[in-house]
Amino acid sequence: MVNRLRKAALTGDEIFATGMRDQWHAVCPSDFVARGDMKKIRRLGEDWLLFRQSDGTLRMLADRCPHRGAPLSQGQHLGDRVACQYHGVQVDGGGTVVSVPGMPGCNLEGKRLVTSLPVREVAGAVLAWFGTDPDAEPAPLELPERLTDEGISHFLCYAEWKAPWRFTLENLLDPMHGAFLHRESHSMFGGETSAKFRIRETDRGFFFEKTDQRGVNFDWVEFCRTGIDWVDLEIPYPPTAGPGGSFGIVGMGTPIDAETTAVFFWRYRRVEGWERDVWRFLYRTKLEERHWVVLEQDRTMLEAMAFDADQAENLYQHDLGVIRLRRLYRAQAEAQAKSLQEA
Amino acid sequence: MSLYLQPRQSGAAPTPYERKLAGAIEEVFGTGVHHLEGLVKGLNALGIHSPGGEAWTTDTFTDEIRRMGA
Repeated sequence: MVNRLRKAALTGDEIFATGMRDQWHAVCPSDFVARGDMKKIRRLGEDWLLFRQSDGTLRMLADRCPHRGAPLSQGQHLGDRVACQYHGVQVDGGGTVVSVPGMPGCNLEGKRLVTSLPVREVAGAVLAWFGTDPDAEPAPLELPERLTDEGISHFLCYAEWKAPWRFTLENLLDPMHGAFLHRESHSMFGGETSAKFRIRETDRGFFFEKTDQRGVNFDWVEFCRTGIDWVDLEIPYPPTAGPGGSFGIVGMGTPIDAETTAVFFWRYRRVEGWERDVWRFLYRTKLEERHWVVLEQDRTMLEAMAFDADQAENLYQHDLGVIRLRRLYRAQAEAQAKSLQEA
Repeated sequence: MSLYLQPRQSGAAPTPYERKLAGAIEEVFGTGVHHLEGLVKGLNALGIHSPGGEAWTTDTFTDEIRRMGA
C-alpha cells in the first residue's frame, strides 16, 4: 500500500484564482532548462521540477519525493532520473520510483508515484498539460498558426508580473487601452481615442474588435481556445520598421500563483527573405527595447491595481470582451470544481 | 521569489557598428523607401558602408544582413 498526496478538491474560487485545469499552459522559455539541468518552478499554485534529461528530453514532475515529501528540485540530476537529496530515492521522468538505495527491493520501486505532466516544446517555450486526472491522456493541442507558419518570423518575450493572471488576459481583451496607456509609444500613437466595439464569434473563440478603425492602433484581438488559451492581435509599426506591415502578438498568461503571472508574448511579422533578415536585425538592435517599454507600461499598471480591483467596477461598451472572458472562465472554474467534487 | 524581467531576450547586445547600421536603416525606411535597391542606395548615400568599408551592393547587403539577422 502506498500513499499519494490527496488534497481537498479545488473549489471554483481556487480554480478561478490559480488557473484552469485540463488544458495546456505555457510554462517558461525552453532555454530556462539546459541539457542536464534542473529548475524548480511554480505554476498554477503548485511547485514543479523541470529537468532536461541528458538525451535532451524535457520532463516536468511534481516537486515532491514520494518517500518523505522532500523537494526533488534539491536533488541530483542522474541523466534520465533524479535522486532525492534527503534519502537518495530515485525517480525517473515519468514519475516512477526506479531505485530506493537505502532499502533495495522495497515496495516503492517500480511504482509511478510522482505526477509527471506531459510537455511539449513549441516556438521556444515549454507547454505542459495540467490535467485533473494524472493518468488521463491530454487533450489535443492545436498550436497558434502564427507560430507554425514558415512565412512568419517571431521572437518570444517572456516576463513574470506581480498581477493575477486574469488581469493580464483582460488587458489583452481590452484594445482601447492602447490609445491611452500606450499613447506614448513607438507603435500606438495614432488613431481615435473613442470607438465602438463588437464581438464576432469564431469556431475557436471570438474576435473583439473596433467597428470603425482597423490597422491604425491596437484595433482588434482574437481570443482562441485550441487546447491552450491564447490571443492574437496586430499593431502597426511606423515606417521606420521597414517592409512587412503590422507586427502581431500571440499572447498567453499562465498563473504562477493567485497573485503572479508568467506572460508570453510572441511578436511576429509576416516577412521572408531579406525583409525577414532586416526585421530580425532591427528587432535585436532597436525594436526589442521599444517593445519592452510598452510592456513595462502594462506591467506597471497591472501591478499597481488592487487585487480586488474588479469587485467595484462600472463598465461600459468597451469592456464587453473582458466581461465575456470572465464569464467564460468563471463558468469553467465552477464546472471543473463540480466534477472534481463528484470524482 | 524574484521575478524574471529581462529586457533583452533576443541575443547578445548589438555592437556599435550594428547600432549605427540599424539607425541608418531606420532613417532610410523612415523616408518611405521599403525596397531593397532603395535601401542599399540610401545607406551608401548616408556613408554607412559594409563592415569591410566598401559601398553596399544588394548582394553584399543581403548576405551581411542574413548573418546579422540570424
